[in-house]
Amino acid sequence: MTKIWTVIKREYIQIVRTKGFIIGTVLGPVLMVALVAVPIILAVATGGEKKHYAVVDGTGEIYADFEAKLADYTLGDKGRRYTLEAYPAGPDLDARRAELSRKVLAKELSGYIYLPADLLTGGTAEYAALNVSDFDEIKRLGEALNGVVVEKRLKNEGLDPSKVAEYTRHVNVKMIKVTARGEQEDTGGTFAVAYILVLILYMTMFFYGAIIMRGVIEEKNNRVVEVILSSLRPFELMMGKVLGIAAVGLTQYGIWALFGILASSYGRSIAGGLVPAGAGGFKVPTIPTYIFIYFVVFFILGYFLYATIYAAVGAMVNSEKEAQHFLFPVSMMLVVPILMMMAVIKEPNGSLATVLSLVPFFAPILMLLRVCVLLPPLTQILASIVLLVLTILLVTWLGAKIYRVGILMYGKRPSLPEIVKWVRYR
Amino acid sequence: MNALEIRHVTKRFGDFTAVGDLSLSVPAGSVYGLLGPNGAGKTTTIRMVMNILIPDEGTVQILGRTLDEDMKARIGYLPEDRGLYPKMKVGELILFLAEIKGVSRDRARRELDGWLRRFDLVDWRTKKVEQLSKGMQQKVQFIVTVIHRPDLIILDEPFAGLDPVNTKLLKDIMLEFRDEGRTIIFSTHRMEQIEMICDNICLINKSRMVLEGNLAQIKRQYGKNTVVLEYEGDGRFVAELPGVEKVDDYGKYMEVKLREAGDPQEILRQAAGRLRVNRFEVQEPSLNAIFIEKVGVSHD
Repeated sequence: MTKIWTVIKREYIQIVRTKGFIIGTVLGPVLMVALVAVPIILAVATGGEKKHYAVVDGTGEIYADFEAKLADYTLGDKGRRYTLEAYPAGPDLDARRAELSRKVLAKELSGYIYLPADLLTGGTAEYAALNVSDFDEIKRLGEALNGVVVEKRLKNEGLDPSKVAEYTRHVNVKMIKVTARGEQEDTGGTFAVAYILVLILYMTMFFYGAIIMRGVIEEKNNRVVEVILSSLRPFELMMGKVLGIAAVGLTQYGIWALFGILASSYGRSIAGGLVPAGAGGFKVPTIPTYIFIYFVVFFILGYFLYATIYAAVGAMVNSEKEAQHFLFPVSMMLVVPILMMMAVIKEPNGSLATVLSLVPFFAPILMLLRVCVLLPPLTQILASIVLLVLTILLVTWLGAKIYRVGILMYGKRPSLPEIVKWVRYR
Repeated sequence: MNALEIRHVTKRFGDFTAVGDLSLSVPAGSVYGLLGPNGAGKTTTIRMVMNILIPDEGTVQILGRTLDEDMKARIGYLPEDRGLYPKMKVGELILFLAEIKGVSRDRARRELDGWLRRFDLVDWRTKKVEQLSKGMQQKVQFIVTVIHRPDLIILDEPFAGLDPVNTKLLKDIMLEFRDEGRTIIFSTHRMEQIEMICDNICLINKSRMVLEGNLAQIKRQYGKNTVVLEYEGDGRFVAELPGVEKVDDYGKYMEVKLREAGDPQEILRQAAGRLRVNRFEVQEPSLNAIFIEKVGVSHD
């Protein structure tokens, strides 16, 4: 056992000391913050620019209200965002449009808006500009126009627009999660939490699995494995690696978790200063303890399952390139549950979800997902855990046999029947 | 007691027999040479001794017992291809490998200091292994092999990459170990190294044992009468002389194997008469010659 500990120490120190690890661990949270903050800051800072539109009002009654509505839109302290110019359609609409197009191309106009005569009875308005991909802009104008037209229609029928607004007010629906512990309001946090936890699991297994595999291949390539095997059993070496890398992962996550906790206490005040009021509606959900516990359980089980698989794959090949051949099925085993996520969320207790979440290779991700969304019966959870543990033992046993033979084999990538022979080798 | 006993050991990989019915004995406190062409089965044999591979048939007894994990601490192994972590620092690497042999950290540090000084590597202690030359790495490899004071030391091509000074250093150390009562098994292609320090040898070819036993006895068995001649001139006539069984002629140097009745003095007279003789010596056959005879392949 002490020998395994020595290997663990070596694996751990050799990685944690590298610049790569330090930068990655430090940059991780920085990146996370940046990914969220930067778009927000950008959106707030670049508010937009003033636009000057020509409007051809075929209805004859919209322009004035439209202009009045757009006058309310300001650009920070730069004053009005929109200035409009009315152009009568005239006898020749096409000529008018040609003229306006010319002006748009000459940049005298930001664009022009055409309101057909039958706009009030269901006609389609048109927005013409050099850039028609600014969906924000189109949305803004569309909403303004929509408001004006609906009001006009109501007034023409003798109805009071403000009363109608009250009658048609949108109904809000609040979500309340029913649990054995009582009811708890949910602002969509459950989904976010489930998604994030599953993503963490998924990325971890890919990332750290690859690190283990790379280490195994390197040891094969620089032949140090022969020297080590004169002191250790192959199983001890394999376990030392798996546990050592686990320690590295825990360290990195620990640091990030610490950062996360600090950030959520202090960060919200900083974020609040940067971001205008509209973004404040998102409530950071408290993660119930039981979810956290299951997360840890499935995280550990999932890690060991895939770490062992990756170690065995590394033992079979001589380079990462050769490994791709074997990694394909492994990647599939990790990707399938991600693809199934939506289906499982919709019907967490359906037969598809139940069956898939019991499959040991999918269990870490899918069972955890089910736990977050709708706690499955305890028997199912226990069943999947038991199956997982049995599979881990089986994979470890197989993996160790493959590892024991593979680490001393140099040559062509082994075929499946050859690998079966390896397992039978003494 | 024999340090190593291999009896009727066979190892197959599928249809290919790497080692076939091999038996050899290594007396404790001796230097044993394992030789043979590439692919003969030397490395496979060594791996079976190290319990990295398990024989299909036969037994391997080390220090009187079957190898188990605990015994690994008493054995040192230097593999043919250098096996070191390139990105680790020299000192760290040696300490790590010593620790997994079961040496305590403190003891390992003390031994390390001694060995680094002896091999003149003190300045390289904190450098990464990949920064060292091949020869220096080989020295580090050797330190790793012996730092835990093993009773049985197995070396596969230990002199690879070493200059003459370090080769001599290594040889001196090996003889020191022998005098301390430890056992050394080393495998190499270089005949002159074997001849100089081995007490016993085993010659393997194509998975089979060809020769085994005490080196001096083997040489005596393979012909007492061998004459070495360094000369100038045309020496082809020597092969036709009566009493001569066989001649290995290299142009300025020849080994003459005499028949049972052959008389070295006659050769000398004949040679001196027709050649300019720079050196004449009656000697036991060189291992190289024995090798050529038994294996049929030149191997130097």
